[in-house]
Amino acid sequence: MKVEYQNRTLVFMRIIRAKTSFEDHIVIADFIADTWLLWILVSVGGFLFWRGQSSQYFGYVFNRYLLALMTLLIVSGIVFSLMEVLPGDCAEKYIAYKSTQGETITQADIAAERARMGLDQPLVVRWGQWVTNLTLRGDLGFSCAKRQSVNLALGDRFWMSFWFCIAALVFSYVIAVPFGILSAFTINKDWTDKNPQNTKAERIINSIGLSLQKFIDLQLRIISYLGLALPNFLLALTIILLYVFAGEPAPTGLFSNEFRDVPWFGEDGFDFAKLNDFLGHIWLPIFVIGWSATALQLQTVRALVVDETNKLYVDAARARGVRGAALWAGYPVRHSISPLFNSVGFDFQRVFNDLPIVAIVIGLTDGAALLIEALALTNDQELAAAILFLVALVVISMNFITDIVLAAIDPRVRTSVMGG
Amino acid sequence: MFTRVLSIFSRKPKEQSDESYYTAGQLSLIKDRFKSKTSGVIAGWILALLVTVSFFAPFFSPVDPTINGADSEYRRGAPQWIHMSDENGFSLRPFVYTYSKEKAKIDFKALSGAGGLAALDALTSGDALTSSSQNKYIIDKDKRRYLQFFVKGWEYSLIDLSVGSLNLDIRWDRHLVGVDNGELHIMGTDEDGKDVFSRSIHAIWITLSIAVVALIVKLFFSLLVGGVSGYFGGRVDAILMSFTEAVRVIPPIPIYLACAVALAEIDLTPVQRYFAIAVVIGALDFAALGRRLRTHILTERNQDYILAAQLCGSSTWRIIWQHLVPSFGSYIIVDTLINFPYVILAETSLSFLGLGLTEPVNSLGVLLQKAQDPDIQQNMIWQFFPVALFVALIMAFVFVGDALRDAADPYAEKS
Repeated sequence: MKVEYQNRTLVFMRIIRAKTSFEDHIVIADFIADTWLLWILVSVGGFLFWRGQSSQYFGYVFNRYLLALMTLLIVSGIVFSLMEVLPGDCAEKYIAYKSTQGETITQADIAAERARMGLDQPLVVRWGQWVTNLTLRGDLGFSCAKRQSVNLALGDRFWMSFWFCIAALVFSYVIAVPFGILSAFTINKDWTDKNPQNTKAERIINSIGLSLQKFIDLQLRIISYLGLALPNFLLALTIILLYVFAGEPAPTGLFSNEFRDVPWFGEDGFDFAKLNDFLGHIWLPIFVIGWSATALQLQTVRALVVDETNKLYVDAARARGVRGAALWAGYPVRHSISPLFNSVGFDFQRVFNDLPIVAIVIGLTDGAALLIEALALTNDQELAAAILFLVALVVISMNFITDIVLAAIDPRVRTSVMGG
Repeated sequence: MFTRVLSIFSRKPKEQSDESYYTAGQLSLIKDRFKSKTSGVIAGWILALLVTVSFFAPFFSPVDPTINGADSEYRRGAPQWIHMSDENGFSLRPFVYTYSKEKAKIDFKALSGAGGLAALDALTSGDALTSSSQNKYIIDKDKRRYLQFFVKGWEYSLIDLSVGSLNLDIRWDRHLVGVDNGELHIMGTDEDGKDVFSRSIHAIWITLSIAVVALIVKLFFSLLVGGVSGYFGGRVDAILMSFTEAVRVIPPIPIYLACAVALAEIDLTPVQRYFAIAVVIGALDFAALGRRLRTHILTERNQDYILAAQLCGSSTWRIIWQHLVPSFGSYIIVDTLINFPYVILAETSLSFLGLGLTEPVNSLGVLLQKAQDPDIQQNMIWQFFPVALFVALIMAFVFVGDALRDAADPYAEKS
């Protein structure tokens, strides 16, 4: 750490004292490579601020941008200090490793190692260093258990978890949105039609229709809540067990053995057999976490639509003679979409929440499994903090994007956030 | 026909005179609307049944669920079905058969004799050593054991009301059912011979009480954050809300995990660990409810009735407790019930990873964790009974929560 800092001051001094243009070139390239993320952040902020001077909308976006950055800073503080509760630290682990190599170690060795790694400094200083490295060049720290930088240790694994969560979210939306609307539609209906204006035959037919609707609604709710009630790990285990009983290879991991080392693009173009194998494996985690996310999603959609249905503008539309599907699709359903869209970020967080345990059961090696490993097995503070921070980053970016998109397209949001 | 069956369960809303409707309190309105939700009422009864049985679990369980009650003669035993009649005749009093374990027939003589390696091979390839053969038991249909009700058994504490030195521990030794000879294992036994049924119903109460503690802690923190933030507003509000927002975006289960790992380092008794886990789960879950309360208070505190109370000279505490809290009391109750299943799920996920409660304690999480053992999945399928109870419990909570949410909606009436 300290060496790095000396290097950086050297770089600064060299910039000041640079003599030849060639040296200039190299030094500036180094400097940019070391601080690229900061420049991006600052230039985005500057652009938004500049546009915000003349446009109210960009002023709002600039505010949201600052707010998102501040939330990220607080999140990093919380995550970093929470990881302190994990037992042990890097120095102890490193020394413990040495002692397995036959060296005798003393408390003084550990203290010296701590000082070398900079772990003897107070929490705030270490957090400050971590945040500085992060904002300057997107460096997420050093993983002690893996003995490499967190960026390298994570690699593509975080993206894998990300896409799993997105796929599970899409799965749950596809099921929850239509069924939630149906559920809201039947919510305050009776099982039988008792309207005295209808004839008896009409009442019987209506009653059958209503009962059928209520019955389907009940079935769908039971099925989707089962996803919540059946613990994820048990569901995944049961599915794997069924495969075992059937004598087929269980779809654990990402690929079957024969496809693991086959490249996506073989000699004769794209390898569809590998794609097939891949899809045959990834449906399991997506299905398991998607199903459990569906229950909450369905409850949310249902509550949102019911809320909107009871508002006066729906009555007004009904009074104007809008009926049936046109009334539903045009008024309450349309208006409940934007709060739903707004909650995508938190839905992602909720889905990710379930992923680690499922990943362990299925034997995935994605970011979520790495998180559990770092937390429960190796007590790797910086790696765990980095993964949690990345999840928070995704959630905050999603919230930021949905906020500014909604402000751009939804007139209700626009008037409420910008005062006209 | 189907609707008629269902209409038995749901009472028809009474014809009310207008006056009683408009003067009814919010809670009684909610109660009235709740009664018209068929699925909610059914789920409510199931929930009430589960809660009652688990609260008086020692009374309802035929066998002591701890290691003291373990039946060493009937380890890994299958469920003992209750019969009323068989080929030996009909009996008005239900009975179970006498079960006895088949002793594993390991022929050591063949080993010590001239057999040598061949005999050893025959022994290991035969089914005397496989775990499925350990489940074999002999049913003796001629030896009936009749069920008895309110039998005397191990002594337990029915309700412990002791406060300080005041000893109000009510103890009893009667149990709902038992058999005249030996022990009754309705849902079989586990590998230690502990009764699965008794363990499961004890576990429900433990899990529920963790959830209750967690939700109380959560309520406390939410009220604190939401109340302070909403009542003072301004800079306090801005700081608290940005902190809340940050807590909200971090996935909670990894955080519980980190805390559980830290707790595992500290030497705690099972009871302390149990409370620590409940407090951790509750304390980190304040964000959503706290935010709601803050928004609610921010809008309510500018209402005329608050101004009127202030002009009458009410103190801040009086305004908060007499005016603000009742205005969102029903909301808090509903929200708490809706959150029950999620808290229970958090406890079970921790236990699944071995970081929550652990084996001698009966919690649903501990029992569910056992269900991942391949041995149990293949040879002792009856140990999935707690899973069934768990699913029933969560489903009952979710359906009651749904119905309550609909019932608590003040605008639901008019459509």
